[in-house]
Amino acid sequence: MAVAIAAGWAWRPSRGLGQAALLLLRRPGARGLATSHSHRQQQQQFSSPGDKPQFPGASAEFIDRLEFIQPNVISGIPIYRVMDRQGQIINPSEDPHLPQEKVLKLYKSMTLLNTMDRILYESQRQGRISFYMTNYGEEGTHVGSAAALDNTDLVFGQYREAGVLMYRDYPLELFMAQCYGNVNDLGKGRQMPVHYGCKERHFVTISSPLATQIPQAVGAAYAAKRANANRVVICYFGEGAASEGDAHAGFNFAATLECPIIFFCRNNGYAISTPTSEQYRGDGIAARGPGYGIMSIRVDGNDVFAVYNATKEARRRAVAENQPFLIEAMTYRIGHHSTSDDSSAYRSVDEVSYWDKQDHPISRLRHYLQNRGWWDEEQEKAWRKQSRKKVMEAFEQAERKPKPNPSLLFSDVYQEMPAQLRKQQESLARHLQTYGEHYPMDHFEK
Amino acid sequence: MNLFQSITSALDNSLAKDPTAVIFGEDVAFGGVFRCTVGLRDKYGKDRVFNTPLCEQGIVGFGIGIAVTGATAIAEIQFADYIFPAFDQIVNEAAKYRYRSGDLFNCGSLTIRAPWGCVGHGALYHSQSPEAFFAHCPGIKVVVPRSPFQAKGLLLSCIEDKNPCIFFEPKILYRAAVEQVPVEPYNIPLSQAEVIQEGSDITLVAWGTQVHVVREVASMAKEKLGVSCEVIDLRTILPWDVDTVCKEECFLNLEAPISRVCGYDTPFPHIFEPFYIPDKWKCYDALRKMINY
Repeated sequence: MAVAIAAGWAWRPSRGLGQAALLLLRRPGARGLATSHSHRQQQQQFSSPGDKPQFPGASAEFIDRLEFIQPNVISGIPIYRVMDRQGQIINPSEDPHLPQEKVLKLYKSMTLLNTMDRILYESQRQGRISFYMTNYGEEGTHVGSAAALDNTDLVFGQYREAGVLMYRDYPLELFMAQCYGNVNDLGKGRQMPVHYGCKERHFVTISSPLATQIPQAVGAAYAAKRANANRVVICYFGEGAASEGDAHAGFNFAATLECPIIFFCRNNGYAISTPTSEQYRGDGIAARGPGYGIMSIRVDGNDVFAVYNATKEARRRAVAENQPFLIEAMTYRIGHHSTSDDSSAYRSVDEVSYWDKQDHPISRLRHYLQNRGWWDEEQEKAWRKQSRKKVMEAFEQAERKPKPNPSLLFSDVYQEMPAQLRKQQESLARHLQTYGEHYPMDHFEK
Repeated sequence: MNLFQSITSALDNSLAKDPTAVIFGEDVAFGGVFRCTVGLRDKYGKDRVFNTPLCEQGIVGFGIGIAVTGATAIAEIQFADYIFPAFDQIVNEAAKYRYRSGDLFNCGSLTIRAPWGCVGHGALYHSQSPEAFFAHCPGIKVVVPRSPFQAKGLLLSCIEDKNPCIFFEPKILYRAAVEQVPVEPYNIPLSQAEVIQEGSDITLVAWGTQVHVVREVASMAKEKLGVSCEVIDLRTILPWDVDTVCKEECFLNLEAPISRVCGYDTPFPHIFEPFYIPDKWKCYDALRKMINY
C-alpha cells in the first residue's frame, strides 16, 4: 500500500529509498481521507479516545518513542538514467524506441542551439548585443522535455530554456531579433536579450525576476483543467530559483488545487557563483516534492532519453489525474552564468572541462546515433558547417535591421493608451525634433 | 444593499455572465471574513469559488497565470495590509506582462480585491491604505469606491477591464453604508473622477471613506464660513483623472498652496486612532487656513 510505504520511509532514520525512483504518495482524495471541507468525516465515534489520532491536520499513528526524522542526504533520491555516457541503453525495457527522425531532431536542435549560443556570446563580447546567456551543458534538459510534450502545452520558463523554443522550430531570425531588439522582435525591443516569448508556440515571455513564473504556471494549469483543454503546463526553473518563496507557493497551490502541471527543475550546480551546498541543505529539489504531496523524480538531465521518458509519463498522468509532477533534472552549467560573469572566479577550469568532455548531453546522444548507424563523421562535419552557415546568415540579417520606432516605447502599458501617456509620447516626438542629433536616430525605424 | 452585499452582487453578476470567471483567496469558500462571497460557492461550484493556501504571493501569482490563459481571475487578499508579499507579482509581473511581451501575453483579466482603510480598532495591520505604493506603477489600475452603488459599478468595470486592476474596499463601510443598488449589472467608468458637489471657492479631493468626511467638511464650511466647496471623489487612483481635478490649469490660478490632510508619518496606531486619522476637524481647519491664506 502506497501509504504504508510512505510512512515506512518517513520513519526509518538514515536509510536510502531503495529502488523506487518515484515516491508514491497518493492524493488525499484517493486515500479516502477528509479533504479541506469535511473534517467532520474524519472524526469517528469517541468511544475509544486513546486509540487513533483524530487530528484534522495529519493522517498518522501515535508513537511512544522520541525520535527525530533524519533527513537523508548521504544517499538521496536516485537518478533515473536510460543511457550511459557512451550512449548505450542500460535497461532495454526503458528504451523509448524513438524513431530516427525524432532522435535526429533532438540532436539537431541541441547542436543548432549550441552553435547559436557560441555566435551570440561572441557577438556580445564584440559589443553587438548588450547581454547574452548560453545554455551549454543543459541542452538535453530542454529538448528531452520539449519532445515529450504536445506542441500546444504551455511553457513557462526562467531564462535558460532556449532549447525548448528551438525544438518547437522557433526561427533563428526571431531569436536574433529579440537579442538585437530589432524591428522583427515580437517583444518590440522592450527587454534584454534572451527574454524570448512566442504566443504561437505557447512559450510565455521570459521575465527576469526568478521563480515568479512558478505560481503563474499553476494558475494557467488550473485554467486548463477547468477548460478541459487536455493540456499540461510545464514550468522550468533552476535549483537556485527553487529557494524563492514563489516556488514554495507554486508547489503548495498545485498540490492543493490539483493542477495538471509539470515542475521541471534544472539543477545545474550553480546559481551564478553560489554552489548547491550554499543553496540548500536537504536532498535537492526532488525531495521537497513529497513534502507537498507531489509525485517526484530525479533524472539524469544529460540523458535526453531519461528526460524524455520522465516528462512523457509525467505529462500523461498530470493530465489524466489532475495532479502535479516534479522532475529534478541533474545537469551541469558548463558556461558562465551570463556575459556579465566570469566563472573562473569561483570554480576550476578542470571542473568545467570534466563535464564538457566526459558528460555532455550532445556527445552522449551522438554516441547513441553513431552506435545505431544513424549518424557519422561526415554527416557531423556537414551539419556543423550547415548549422553555422544558418546561424551566421540569421545573425547578419539581424545586425542590419533597424530598431523599432521610438514611439513603441509607449504602447502596450495598458491595452489602451491613457491620455497622459499619449501626451508623453507627443512630448518625446517634439523633443526629438529639436534635440534629435543627440540621439541614435539612425538605428531606429522612422 | 450594504457595501459587502453590493460586492457579492457584482461577483454574482460576473460569474453568471462569464463562465471562465473564478474567485479565490483565503476563506472565500465559506463566504469570506467580510461576507463578500456568501452563497457564491453553492451557486457556482467549488471549482469556481475556492480557498487557496495562506500565501498572498501565491494568490496573485496564481491569478496572473489564470488570466494569462484568458480566463477571468478574481483574487481576494484578506486585508490590504497583507498585499505586500504579492508586491513583486503585482509590480514586476502583472503590471508589466503586456508591455514586456510586446502584447503577445497579458493578464488583463485579473482583478485583485482587498478590504482597505481604517475601521476604528484595526491598528497597524488591519487599517492600512496602501494605494500610494501602487500609484506610480504603470500597467495596473487602482480603484477605491466610496459607497455600495459606486462599488458594484466600479468592481464590474475592473473585472471587465482588459488590464490588471486592484480594487480596494473600505471595510468600515461594509455594513455601515447602505443604499439602493440595482441587482442587474451596470458599469461605472474607470479613470473618471466624480464631482459630487459643485463649488466655487475651494476644491476638496478624496477617495473611499474620506469622501464622506470631506463632504461633511463642505457643509461645515458653508455653514460656519460661508465658503462654497467643490467635492471630488477621485475613484480611480491610477490612471487618475487629471483633467477633472485640474480643470482650470492649476498652478497659476491657485490662491493658496495645495494642502494634504492625511495620517501622520507613523504606522497606523491602535489606541491613538482617533488622533491619527484626518477627521473632519483637521480637514475643516486646513480649509479655514487655506481660505485665510
